This record gives sequence, C-alpha cells and structure tokens, in this order.
Amino acid sequence: MSTIYKISAAILLSAVVSSSCMAAKPTLTVYTYDSFTSDWGPGPKVKMAFEETCECNLSLVGLEDGVSLLNRLKLEGKNTKADVLLGIDTNLTADARASGLFSEHQLTVTNSSLPNAWNDDTFLPYDYGYFAFVYNMELLKNPPTSLKELVEDANGPTILIQDPRTSTPGLGFMLWVKKVYGDKSDEAWEKLSKRIVTVSKGWSEAYGLFLKGEADMVLSYTTSPAYHIIAEEDKRFAAAEFSEGHYQQIEVAGLVAASQQQGLGKKFLAFMQGEKFQNIIPTTNWMYPAALDRASLPEGFKGLVEPSIALLFSDSDIANNRKKWVGEWLEVMSK
Amino acid sequence: MSHPSRSGYWVLIVLALAVLVPLFSLLTQGNSSDVVGLNFWQSHYLRQVLFFSLWQAFLSAGLSIALALLVARAFAHHGAFPFRSLLLRLFGLPLVVPSIVAVMGVVSIYGSNGWIPLGRSLYGLNGILLAHVFFNMPLAVRLLLPVWQSIPPHHWQMSEQLGLNRWQQWRHLEWQALRESLPGISLLIFMLCLTSFAVVLTLGGGPKSTTLEVAIYQSLRFDFDPHQAVSLALLQLGLCLLVAWGSSLFHKLPDVEISLSNTPLNTGIVGRYMNTFVITAAVIFVGMPLIAMVIDAFNNSILTVLSNPGLWLSAGLTLLIGISASTLSVLAGWLLLSTSTDYAMLGKKRKASVIEMLGSVVYVVPPLVIGTGLFVLLAPHINVFEWAIPVVILINAIMGLPFVVRTLGPAMRQSKMRYQHLCENLALTKWQRFKTVDWPLLRKSVGLSSALVAAMAMGDLGVIALFGTPEIITLPLMLYHQLSAYLIPNAAVTAVFLLGFCLSVFWLLEKLIGGKTNAEY
Repeated sequence: MSTIYKISAAILLSAVVSSSCMAAKPTLTVYTYDSFTSDWGPGPKVKMAFEETCECNLSLVGLEDGVSLLNRLKLEGKNTKADVLLGIDTNLTADARASGLFSEHQLTVTNSSLPNAWNDDTFLPYDYGYFAFVYNMELLKNPPTSLKELVEDANGPTILIQDPRTSTPGLGFMLWVKKVYGDKSDEAWEKLSKRIVTVSKGWSEAYGLFLKGEADMVLSYTTSPAYHIIAEEDKRFAAAEFSEGHYQQIEVAGLVAASQQQGLGKKFLAFMQGEKFQNIIPTTNWMYPAALDRASLPEGFKGLVEPSIALLFSDSDIANNRKKWVGEWLEVMSK
Repeated sequence: MSHPSRSGYWVLIVLALAVLVPLFSLLTQGNSSDVVGLNFWQSHYLRQVLFFSLWQAFLSAGLSIALALLVARAFAHHGAFPFRSLLLRLFGLPLVVPSIVAVMGVVSIYGSNGWIPLGRSLYGLNGILLAHVFFNMPLAVRLLLPVWQSIPPHHWQMSEQLGLNRWQQWRHLEWQALRESLPGISLLIFMLCLTSFAVVLTLGGGPKSTTLEVAIYQSLRFDFDPHQAVSLALLQLGLCLLVAWGSSLFHKLPDVEISLSNTPLNTGIVGRYMNTFVITAAVIFVGMPLIAMVIDAFNNSILTVLSNPGLWLSAGLTLLIGISASTLSVLAGWLLLSTSTDYAMLGKKRKASVIEMLGSVVYVVPPLVIGTGLFVLLAPHINVFEWAIPVVILINAIMGLPFVVRTLGPAMRQSKMRYQHLCENLALTKWQRFKTVDWPLLRKSVGLSSALVAAMAMGDLGVIALFGTPEIITLPLMLYHQLSAYLIPNAAVTAVFLLGFCLSVFWLLEKLIGGKTNAEY
C-alpha cells in the first residue's frame, strides 16, 4: 500500500509545485494530440525551449488525435481552458473555422517551406508530410511507380491501409484516390480491395502488421523511412514514389478566441514558426517542418522521396464532401 | 426472511444515473441535421453492421463457451494436473492484454511469417474468431470451473454406484449444475465480443467487418454527431437486453442444496488421457501468443524501457486505478447480489435474475459515450483534469460489475441456501453473520472477482485518453505512445511488463483475499 501513498503524495506534490509556479507566471495551455506530448514526441523539447524565452508555463494537454481535439473544443465552447489548439490538419480547418471558436492570428508567414503558398488568416502550419506506401526494398524489388499501377495490376503487391473513419492517413488515402480517380473512385477501390490485407483502426496497427511481414506495403508517410535510417540505422525501408503525385497533409495550429492570453498565444505561434521549434520537428514528429530550409534537415531526410506534385483538396471541398465520400467508400468496401 | 435487502436497488439507481444521465446529457450537444439518425437507419450499411455485430458475437461466444466447457471439464476431472493452479492463473491473462498487443500476438502465430501461417485467410471471420476465442475461452474456463466444485461428492458416488457412463454423468449431473451459470456466463462473453473494436477492425479485413461499436465511435468521434451516437448506443443496449432476456429463458436456478466441498473425482485411464490432451491443447492455444509476446520483448530496448522512471510511475498509477475500480466494483456487486439472492431465496427467481441482468448489461454502453457524456456534464462545473482519475475508476468499476456478478453470484446464492435458516434461527447480527458465515465461504469468490476486475481495469486504455490530463499516463497509454512513435520494440517490452505486472496483482489479490482453502480453482 505504501507505494500508493507515495504516488499520491508525488501527484499532490507536483500539483502544489505547479500551482505555486502558476501564481508567479502566466500559463499558456495548448491542446494537442498525445503523440506530440509523449516522451518521444516534440512536446518535452518544445516546452523547454519555449519556457526559456516566454516567462510563462507551457501546459501541453494531449488528447487522442486531431479529431478529438476539435471535438473537445466544441464540447467546451467558451469555457475552454485552451489558449492554443495545435494538431489538426487541413482536412478539419474549414470545420474548425466554421465553429467560430478561433480568432485570426494576424501573423505573416515569412519562411514557408511548404510547396504551395499559405493563405489562411486563422491557422498557421507547423509541419507537413506526404502519404506514401512504404515497403522493404529487400522483399519487394519492383514497387509500383504510380497509383494507377498499384490499383490496376491484379498481381501487384498486397497492402495494409487504415480506416478513413478512424485514422488520418486512412482519410488521406481515400482523398488521394478521389483526387486521381474522381468519379471512377468506386471502380478503383473495387480493384484494389482484393489486395488489401486489412483496414486497421489506426496507423500503429497497420505499421506493426507491416513490420511483422503481413503485407508488401503499408500506407504511411514519405518520411517514415527516415525514422528507420536515423533511429535504427536500418536502410531497408523506402517509400514508393507515384507519378500522379502524393496527397499532402499539413498540420496547423490556431488561437482560441475565448482565450484570455491572446498575446502569449500569438507569441507561441510565432515561436512555432521559428527555427528552434522547427528544428525539433523532423526527428520527433517524423514530418517535414513547415518553415525550415531544406539544408537544415537532418542527413537521414535527404535521400527521401520528394513528390513533385502535392495533391490537396481545399478545406471547404472536404467539409462539404467528406461525409458523402466516406459513405461511398463504405458502400463499395462492404460489398 | 421477510424483507429482502434493498441495497441492490440503490446500486441499480446509482448505475442508471451514472450511465443514463451522461447519455442524455450528450443529446444537448451538437446540432444533428438528422435528429434520430433516420437516414442512417435506412442505410444498407447499418443493416449490415447490425447483422455482422450479432453474427460474429454469437459465433465467437458460442465457440468460446463450447471449448471452455471441454477445457473446464478436463480441469475439473484432472485435479492433479501438473502446475494446474499456475496454468489457471495464466488463463486470467488474455483478458488484460490490450487488444492491439493481442492482435500482434495472434499475428505472430497465425500470420504469414507465423508459426502456424494461415496467410490471407486469417483476415476476416477466421481472425476475429481466433482472437475472440483467445480472449474469452480462458475467462469462461475460470468462470465455469467453480460449477464442478459445486456438485456434491455424494452425487458422484451415487452416479458411480448406478454405473452411469460419462455421457450420462454429464447429462444428469454436470449439465444440471451448469444450467445455473451457463446463461449468465454466455451473456457476459457475448457482450465482450459484441463490443470488441480494434480486434474486429484489424483482423476483420475491412469495413465489411464493422461492428456497432465502431459505428458508435465513428458517429461520436469522426462525425461528431452525439444524437446518432446515443441512438446507436441505446440500440446496442436494447439488443443486449433482448439477448439477455432470451438467455434467461434457459436459466434455471438449482433446486437442490449444493455443496461447497471439493473431492477429487475418479476418472478411468481413458478419461485421464483425454483430459490431459484437452488441457495441453488449450494451454498451447492460449500460451502461444503470450510466448510470442515474450519473445518479441527480448530485444535491446529492455534496459531503456525498464530504466525509465516514467514506467514505474505509470505502473503505480495503473495499480491505483486497478485496485480502486476493483474495490468499488466488488462492493457494488456485493450489495446488488445481496438483494438478488434474497429474492432467489424467496422463490422469486425471475426477479433475482432481472436484477443481476440489469447490473450487467450496462457493460455494452461504450465507455467513450459514458466518458464524453460525463465530460459534458462535469466540465462546466469542475476542473476535469483533477477529476480524470476518479472518472476513470468509476467507469472501470461499472465495466467490472458483470464480472463480479458472474463470479460472486453463484457462491453467494449457495451460501444463502445452506445457511440462511440457520442464521435466522441463531439470530446472528449482520456483522456476526458476515464474519462467521459469509466471509469464510465467499472470500475465494471475492478474491477471484477482485483480481479479474483489477486486472481488467489495469489493461484497459479506456477513457483516460479522453481527458488528456498531463502527467497522467497509465501503462496501456504509454504503450500506445510508444507504438505511435515507431518504438515498436519498446512497446513490446512495455506490453510484457504490463502482462507480468497484471499477473502479479492477479495472483496477489487472489491469495490475499481468497486466503488458503483446500479448493484450488
């Protein structure tokens, strides 16, 4: 039993300590997803770096993922404790803007490394990536070179994907197919479905199954091989480059309108676009920083596939069609 | 006994408040264009989801129970099997494995590069059934085994004198004894399979294998349509009540007085070989994925993971949640069962089983729905970060209740049947009675139910992620963090650590609460 007391004492103590600090400095509360706040994500380093300069406490609250962030903010409405929301992507920004819960950032983007210009008065990007199929080069010698080849070749590789209803990459791939096939997406899915080993709830399940050798390729990011190169010194993995281009994911942050700390919030957003924050991103979030020169990227990022065409639907297109498209996907995949 | 205890009603009222109020508070949220989800009801997709949820749950539960009957019978007839009690304790483990870990374990065995490769045919109904039997058969064995202990020794002696063969023994002795517990245990396993989520989605091969639970998650999370989520959750609850009602038709409370003693049974030499074979096969089936997990954990990140102080802090927090949820759950279960067994004693068996059933079926209201509802309810008034742990404990205690009802219920009923009149004649006070009669007889069942609920709560990712409280990281949550940071070897170590930790707590609780008795089950 004594362990329990010790732990409760530790929790109490940390609460006391943090509240005594709170009295002296303001606290900026940022809602984000929990792989950002975890020990292995950017969170701990970002907190340390920001607190060095801001004369404040940065409290990072980690929720399950981008979708639950926005839901949480909607549930809390004006009573929210969040000052900044970090971690939704452009699939959700239209919906988020329409909620009226965000205020404009009034900052200019100066050092964007995004492939396309950024024009959004409410949200600012902090990183981005491209969805891609990752494979083991020793096991798959001739990966498909286009989405069309992946879809049409009946003897093509087997794949693992995620469910667009529960997973961001899953939704990204559905949009990718839509972008390339348009009205003919149903037929594409029908052809592809024969080689889909399974459709998992989240990225972790699919990636885990792939590493166990359950399929030739897994839906992930072009930057995934960088993890294996940098952290594991394992050069067997690569992302297949598709000639139609790759669907893009841009992750953003925004100021919460109800926040009492608009000034500090803006300071955080500016910090987020600065070099310190941007340098943390590549090897913790395994994505491309949104405002950092290519030359500053770590070595392991330099040999990666760089899509020449970035595919992206406008956020309003997604807000208007997502439910319908997912419904269509369900119908064809449930046959 | 003129007045049956009323405590059970209080438990039911609290339960209803804790589940239904959050459910309806969700209805104040969101602006659903489609108030009762009419469009959704008409869709081909929903009909398919409904059918598939029920179909896979029936098959999974049926298969788990059928196999568990064979295995439990073999265990019962083979009291001297080597490491019997250790093996049985191991059977408590699949229940606590977070589903993603179990899926990986199952794939290590039956996947393309596994020990028994099934290839692509693993994905679909096969994989779902395999994983569900892996999860639930061992649990069912643990729950069924006490039934054999309850058959009075003189019945076995009589059956031998009458020269009954194995089939006749089964029909006249064992089956009669099982009729009390079987419907309830089947219902519990059915509910577990019905609400299965990650297993079904990952091993199911695609959205063909979507369960209602996934649809509820989708409408609450992805579409943020609380109205639809609540309608679907109520539909799931309704379906379960229907199934519960159906199963109660087969329910028969025993009329005979039942013994609590344990005598080893005599089985012939052929029977012995059969039992050894069945037990060995079951242990291999349950053990393989667990062994695969342990093998996966032998990698060079062991030290990194174990030397992380965060791991130990998480372990402490996980233990705190597990023990608190289990205490609360056993307490509520005891009060509920006091009332239901009183009714059973008065001959109102129908009423008794309705009370127990109502206490159990709330299990199928998804924790995500209850959690979100509680959040809506509480957030305006309190600091939710400070209340995350109590809420997680409360929800885990509710989810543990059906396990308590199943493990403690039969024992409590038996003890009342034997000693009710005696206690009344001796005019024992409630406390005297608890101390001298109830506790010695029931502590073993209390031990098992506390251990089950604690282990289950400890392995549950649950709603902790919903609150996002900084500094509160349970072991399963840490495991998920590692997985989403590509740290798959570290996650494998954490998973085995969690397993070992749960096994120790399970063992400790059963020993401390259960105490020493001659009956090992």
